[in-house]
Amino acid sequence: MDLAQLTRDLEDLRSEALAQAAAAPDTTAVEALEIELLGKKGRLTGVLRGIGGLPAEDRPRVGAIANAVREAIEAALRERGAALRGGELEARLRRERLDVTTPGRPLRRGSLHPSIEAMADIARIFAQFGFVVVESPEVEDDLKNFQMLNIPPDHPARDLWDTLYVDQPGNLLRTHTSPGQIRVMQSMAPPIRVLLPGRCYRYEAVDASHGFEFFQVEGLMVDEGTTLADLKGLLDQFAHAMFGAGRKTRFRPGYYPFTEPSVAFDVECLVCGGPGCPACGRTGWMTILGAGMVHPVVLQYGGLDPERYQGFAFGMGPERISMLKHGITDLRLFMDNDLRFLEQFR
Amino acid sequence: MRVPLSWLREYVDVELEPEALAERLTLLGMEVKSIERRGTEWRNVVVGELLSVDRHPRADRLSLTRVTTGGGEPLEIVCGATNIAAGDRVPVALPGAVLPGDRRIERTEKMGVTSNGMLCSGDELRLTADADGILILPADTPLGVALADLYGDVVLDVDVKPNRGDALSIVGLAREIAAVTGASIRFPDSTVTEAGQPTAERLRVEVADPALCPRFVGRWVEGVTVGPSPAAVQMRLIAAGMRPISNVVDASNYVMVELGKPIHTFDAAAVHDGRIDVRLARPGERLETLDHVDRELHPETLLIADPAGPLGLAGVMGGADSEVSAGTRDVIVESAIFDPISIRRTAFRYALRSEASLRFEKGQEHRLARIGADRTARLVAEWAGGTVAPGAVDTNPVEPERGRVAFRPARVNRLLGTALDSTDQAALLERVGIEIDGSADARGGSATEVQVRVAAGDRPLSVEVDASEVLVALVPTWRRDLEIEADIAEEVARIHGYELVPSTLPSTPMPSFRSSPLELRDGLRSALAGAGLTEIVTHALVAPASLEQVRWREPIDVADGETEAGGVPITVTNPLSADHSVLRQSLVASLLETVSSNARRGRSEAAVFEVGKGYGRVGEETREWWRLGLALWGPFDPPAWNRPSRDADLDDAKGVIGYLTGVLGLPAPAYTPVPTEPNLHPGRAAEVVARSTNGAIGLAGRVGEIHPELAEAFEIRGRVVVAELSVRGLSAGQLPVPRVAAPSRQPDAERDVAVVVYEDRPSGELEAAIRASAGPLLRDVRLFDVYRGAPLAAEERSLAFRLRFAAQDRTLTESEVEASMAAVMTSLAAAGGRIRS
Ligand SMILES: [Zn+2]
Repeated sequence: MDLAQLTRDLEDLRSEALAQAAAAPDTTAVEALEIELLGKKGRLTGVLRGIGGLPAEDRPRVGAIANAVREAIEAALRERGAALRGGELEARLRRERLDVTTPGRPLRRGSLHPSIEAMADIARIFAQFGFVVVESPEVEDDLKNFQMLNIPPDHPARDLWDTLYVDQPGNLLRTHTSPGQIRVMQSMAPPIRVLLPGRCYRYEAVDASHGFEFFQVEGLMVDEGTTLADLKGLLDQFAHAMFGAGRKTRFRPGYYPFTEPSVAFDVECLVCGGPGCPACGRTGWMTILGAGMVHPVVLQYGGLDPERYQGFAFGMGPERISMLKHGITDLRLFMDNDLRFLEQFR
Repeated sequence: MRVPLSWLREYVDVELEPEALAERLTLLGMEVKSIERRGTEWRNVVVGELLSVDRHPRADRLSLTRVTTGGGEPLEIVCGATNIAAGDRVPVALPGAVLPGDRRIERTEKMGVTSNGMLCSGDELRLTADADGILILPADTPLGVALADLYGDVVLDVDVKPNRGDALSIVGLAREIAAVTGASIRFPDSTVTEAGQPTAERLRVEVADPALCPRFVGRWVEGVTVGPSPAAVQMRLIAAGMRPISNVVDASNYVMVELGKPIHTFDAAAVHDGRIDVRLARPGERLETLDHVDRELHPETLLIADPAGPLGLAGVMGGADSEVSAGTRDVIVESAIFDPISIRRTAFRYALRSEASLRFEKGQEHRLARIGADRTARLVAEWAGGTVAPGAVDTNPVEPERGRVAFRPARVNRLLGTALDSTDQAALLERVGIEIDGSADARGGSATEVQVRVAAGDRPLSVEVDASEVLVALVPTWRRDLEIEADIAEEVARIHGYELVPSTLPSTPMPSFRSSPLELRDGLRSALAGAGLTEIVTHALVAPASLEQVRWREPIDVADGETEAGGVPITVTNPLSADHSVLRQSLVASLLETVSSNARRGRSEAAVFEVGKGYGRVGEETREWWRLGLALWGPFDPPAWNRPSRDADLDDAKGVIGYLTGVLGLPAPAYTPVPTEPNLHPGRAAEVVARSTNGAIGLAGRVGEIHPELAEAFEIRGRVVVAELSVRGLSAGQLPVPRVAAPSRQPDAERDVAVVVYEDRPSGELEAAIRASAGPLLRDVRLFDVYRGAPLAAEERSLAFRLRFAAQDRTLTESEVEASMAAVMTSLAAAGGRIRS
């Protein structure tokens, strides 16, 4: 091999490579060419293998030419590669275009039951005033459901609670959460601030505003100086928190055997806002709960001295609160479990 | 109680509009439920006078009348009634009138004669009970005037509370109104004109047990003519919701509504020997009551009787034989006080609760016995003629003294949060007739201490208080509800006005912190809703059949600290319906019923959960245990164009359970097959348990596809997967606070192992074998592939697990991991698996 031959071979490789680079159809072909031409076992290396047969003084010249060829090929490949990549990316982006106006892939949406959520709302509000939740059994005895609440047997006030009795003498399904008052007073020392939520039962035909199973939330606060005025203030706060600040409220006499004085508590009609409409029986008011100062007989059954301790209790129906809040007019929906109803509470 | 305003106005002047009056009463604790306007229905009904009444030319049974309403041409009106004559003034419904019951009156042709309207009976106007004859109005009724202007009325429906029997009357409510408006009250006239043989010579009354009948007043009215009451009386009774019967019976009902005193009248001829006994029933005695039911009498029944036997159930219902009827000549008026409990029990026993028994149950003012007797005798004589015999028979004429209730004005303020001084409080009480006893005796005379009654009833309590702190209230005899100091406090607040009680916030010490028992329950509920399930609340009372139909053969393991399920079902003895007569023991039937009812409404999928209780009795002890139930049915994901539809299956339910154990901070749950639950698909049911590291059960229960037969019984098409779980802390608990570590800087090592087993070999067992053998470096095992087919045998499958190893403090060496893997493979082989390379 002589110098001239080698130089010619290098020049041939250069021109052939440049032509190949220019003709490479895609970036993959460019990468393949790079290996074919410039790789460890590539054609340039192959040509340069003949350098060993040259006189030592010729070698630097060939080296210089070979470097120039390499650089030229590299430049050509780089240039071709860059040109191709730009086009290919463009093509890919074009290819990957979606119809962005189609709906997405929907997630399942669940919901929480309005009766339970209303109880949770009530508990959240009263928690701010230090009230904690306590639960008590649904199968109760006549003693705690009635007698210890100052409702002796054959008392005419028993008409207020039509009762479902169970097959164990003296036991019944609690008609209200009030027996929890007795349990709390017997087990906790004042100061007491508790909420007693839970399921209650009555012998009551089902209609748009009655059911034989429903929920109730009882509140009880007992210490040495809680007053009727405190009850009024607290209920005002509750009504504002639940139904909006500035809602008018009405505090009026009520009747329960286990409270004295007893209270009925109304809020301004949420439908008409006062002038009267069918929803509020044209009175402009909606009754949301009953309350009163815990009766001395009840305090005593709770193990507390009525000369020292006093306080109030209140009871409300979470369904009623929910109905007022959400504009529901039929109580039956709460236990009907029509998913079309329940799924609206998100 | 229905209160016609026209009646109320007889006893008290009311200047207020009905709405304003209703509000005042409501604020007094006498809640007005509704306001009814009577007469608004009588449009185009006016007063007319009959000019002539002639036979209809073509119909014998009809009359042709000419009527004037004051102006214009007389109207010809055809009428079928026979009680009319020329000169009578009557209600005329002109063409265009609309009567109660939406009855429209038009000009009509009747047997060839045009009738220009209709003459109205009292019944057609819902004014009186008379349906046979035309309502004849008083001769001086002005012509042409709209009937509504004459007889229209406003009726308030007042909810009188059980403790205020005294206000269950027109006079009682008049008294309340007078208290707040300052008007004075006029009592009904109960004076009588007497003549003839004295009552005492005609009537003898014996009360066997004065505790059951503290007072009996009898009067005698001789020579009555029984017939309809005057129209005005009938109108009143109807407005008040009573049915007019006859002048004598109406007199007793009138007095009951007016004074709140139930009265009974007897045909004196039916009372043998003029002798009345008030006694308990004797064995075997029977009585046909006014409703013509022959009743066997229970020995606890208090009776009004004569020597021949029972005349009536005292205070509840009279007997048919002694009823006042058309032929009655002499009338005995009974105005008695009975033991409230005895009356209540009798009324319940015979299912005969009435306006009368309701009033007796609430207790009666002693004085009213005499007043009621006199007032009734007066009205009977006035409406039915006859003469009132002189005097009365009275078994207990001693009028009781007013009750005395000592109270501390300071204590009243302490209870109410008010600052009303003694004078203010006394003045307020004065308005409802409660006087303050100013005498020295009232304050204990020379003693310096006075007893104040703090509680009465079955837990009485009195305290001794320095006389200077006490006032003594003299309570009117009709107020039976005022017994203790707190009653006086309520009365002060009520008359002062609850609206004037200040609104303050509690300033007493706060109780110490207690965590809420609802925290964990609410956490799980929110998690489930977040996972796409809808919370339901179903009845705890179910049908006995459903209790039997869906029950677990093997009880579910109870989670740590939760109440164990079990015991006999608790049954309601007086259910509203058999469908809701027993307390449930499992949530599953309720979940399936919810799926079923939604399917009937056209749904094709449901994913629901409920947190509820089961109930049972073990011996004398009642158990209530909390459970979490869920049901999945139909496509689990919402339908979408970009995803194939896929029905929820067992794996979805297990996914939800795994998610819950994550929320609960428990390790992954373990499942074991349960082929023997009759309600579940034998090949698609599992027992699930998740234990915390100390071995306690954090969650346990059953999950599975329901048996196709059960799905059919509930009329559900397709597969339903249900789960019922006992969860630690569901009854009262908090979600755990996770302990966390910084992520390791060292890379984890992952290794895969595939093991070939027969189909019936549960994957869970192999996973358990891996966990047991892999050593402390194992962080996680995950089944990532299941393969069936060549080269495996027909009954074989290959399960591929990915194991993750890590150490917190160092990079694992290859040999450490390989040692663990070797142990795993050995144990898999020992468990009957063939390692696939
Ligand atoms: Zn309204």
